[in-house]
Amino acid sequence: MPALLDVDNLRVHFQTDEGVIQAVRDVSLQIQEGETLALVGESGCGKSVAAMSAMRLVPTPPGEYVSGNIHFDGRDVFSLSKSELQDLRGNDIAMIFQEPMTSLNPLLTVGDQIMEAVCLHQNKSARDARKITLDVLRQVAIPSPEERIDQYPHEMSGGMKQRIMIAMAISCKPKLLIADEPTTALDVTTQGQILNLLDELRRSTGMAILLITHNLGLVAEYADRVAVMYSGKIVEEAPVETLFEFPAHPYTRGLLNSIPQNKSGGTLQSIPGEPPNPANLPPGCAFYPRCQWSRPGFEEKLPPQFSVPDSHPDHKVACWLYENGERPNFES
Amino acid sequence: MTPLLKVQNIKKYFPMHGGLFSKVVSQVRAVDDVSFDLNRGEILGLVGESGCGKTTLGRMTLRLLEPTGGQVFFNDEDILKLDHKALTRLRPKMQIIFQDPYGSLNPWFNVERIIGEGMRIHKLADAKNLAEKVEEMMVKVGLLPKNKKRYPHEFSGGQRQRIGIARALALHPDYLVCDEPVSALDVSIQAQIVNLLQKLQQESGMAMLFISHDLDVVKHLSQTIAVMYLGKIVETGPTEELIREPAHPYTRALLDAKPSTNPKNRAKKAPLPGDVPSPMNPPSGCHFHPRCPEAHERCKTEEPEIQLINNNRSVRCHLFDPAGK
Repeated sequence: MPALLDVDNLRVHFQTDEGVIQAVRDVSLQIQEGETLALVGESGCGKSVAAMSAMRLVPTPPGEYVSGNIHFDGRDVFSLSKSELQDLRGNDIAMIFQEPMTSLNPLLTVGDQIMEAVCLHQNKSARDARKITLDVLRQVAIPSPEERIDQYPHEMSGGMKQRIMIAMAISCKPKLLIADEPTTALDVTTQGQILNLLDELRRSTGMAILLITHNLGLVAEYADRVAVMYSGKIVEEAPVETLFEFPAHPYTRGLLNSIPQNKSGGTLQSIPGEPPNPANLPPGCAFYPRCQWSRPGFEEKLPPQFSVPDSHPDHKVACWLYENGERPNFES
Repeated sequence: MTPLLKVQNIKKYFPMHGGLFSKVVSQVRAVDDVSFDLNRGEILGLVGESGCGKTTLGRMTLRLLEPTGGQVFFNDEDILKLDHKALTRLRPKMQIIFQDPYGSLNPWFNVERIIGEGMRIHKLADAKNLAEKVEEMMVKVGLLPKNKKRYPHEFSGGQRQRIGIARALALHPDYLVCDEPVSALDVSIQAQIVNLLQKLQQESGMAMLFISHDLDVVKHLSQTIAVMYLGKIVETGPTEELIREPAHPYTRALLDAKPSTNPKNRAKKAPLPGDVPSPMNPPSGCHFHPRCPEAHERCKTEEPEIQLINNNRSVRCHLFDPAGK
């Protein structure tokens, strides 16, 4: 079955005063209908740029799509005209952002903002649009939607605003929802509500979700598959259970070990150092300087994707330790 | 032994102005009647969601904010009664590191000046050995002394937080407030800073009030935990006991809200309904009752008092039965 979204060897650069930033370096990923793919990485690793590229939302300039292909539902995203692109955004792919506070227009009621999307993308009359809006507000479990529809964003809490963003995103029944750190700005107890809601919507509508996050706990809880990004490259990809059973890349292992677990006290196993400057990347493995298992030579050439031995066939890792087809001994 | 810090019935009410002549129309009870002790060398974790008053409380214990009522004893001295001069004398003993490593460092000062300023003002170093002491502190927190002439913007978030820590610890405080020190950092950097704080605390034996919304980090670091909800501490106790047998429904909800790191063991527990209410208009009775899965009639009208569970633990909840049924 062809993938819903197929990103093939995508490379995105940014021209800056400091030089060329290689934000996305030959990233390939596929999302199937109805699945949740988590894209994990730390700030600046290129995860948002990679996701925004699916809708060609990266501003050019300063951005530049250097190479690669993106297909959505069989269509070549790079060959779409402006109006076809408009159609793709919203109707086929929708996006929600980290900051619900700044993503909504403070001068318009939330109803007007959702209706605008409905009218624009679905050619509905104002009356129909209002009905659709009330429906989606109910779908995202906003209490008393008849009152809320005429309220302004400042009258709502952060969790409520994120629900409005989700309502706006699903109002046109997209096939793919890109959720870029949807709960990072929310409280812990609200976080679960929002992700449960997204999960329910995915089940009921069959849309796929690309969940961008740095929180591995959320990945374990909600994703079907995981791709881990570091310095613009996907360093590991696997079904979620496989990844947590055997995190193959030293960076993934480091991320998991950085989470304080159930035991209290003791020292956390942190990853030393910091990610490299994206304007000045090493020629080889970008994780080399921080990796305790790296060996001389790893810094010279980029590792290709290897299959992880004795694991799920879809478990891929970009690390030289797997060159000889054996699992490295991480215990030593 | 008397505790290093004793906070008694501390309150902070912010007036809300409105109407014709900006009269005070109501008050926001940001911190309402909070008491706790902190022993020498102890780490107390203060957990709560945004807007619950944890930062306000932390700042009042240092008298960076003037409380509306209550007392704060530091070394048996009521710091709320001290005049400016006496307070200045005490300042080096009580320090704070902030959440935002971008906003809390003076962009016009280089690192040497940021770290050295406190030592210079409090005469903990003279002109001769100041540079040396600054370098010593930089090494201690994992910064390269050769970078001491650089300015904050030349450092990454994690490094800036190290500068903040060096600045605070240069004064050898007995008491350090850490206000969400790792929330703005990436996961892999968070662990570095948590480890650093832990190491420095063990070396110096200072007491710490560790404020965070992240129960995992708090649990990892602190011996005692206090959980705050809408201006009040709803539960306190030794970390392990509190985690094992949370007494307050809110503590239980916080523990449940934490995603597991095992995809085979997906919790799928129903998350707490609703949002944290606005402190401007808190619910009647127990502030938690609209979201509480176990609330009954009494919770809506009557505010629960603090009850002791045992010598070390207390809870503010009607449902707790001291007879232990």
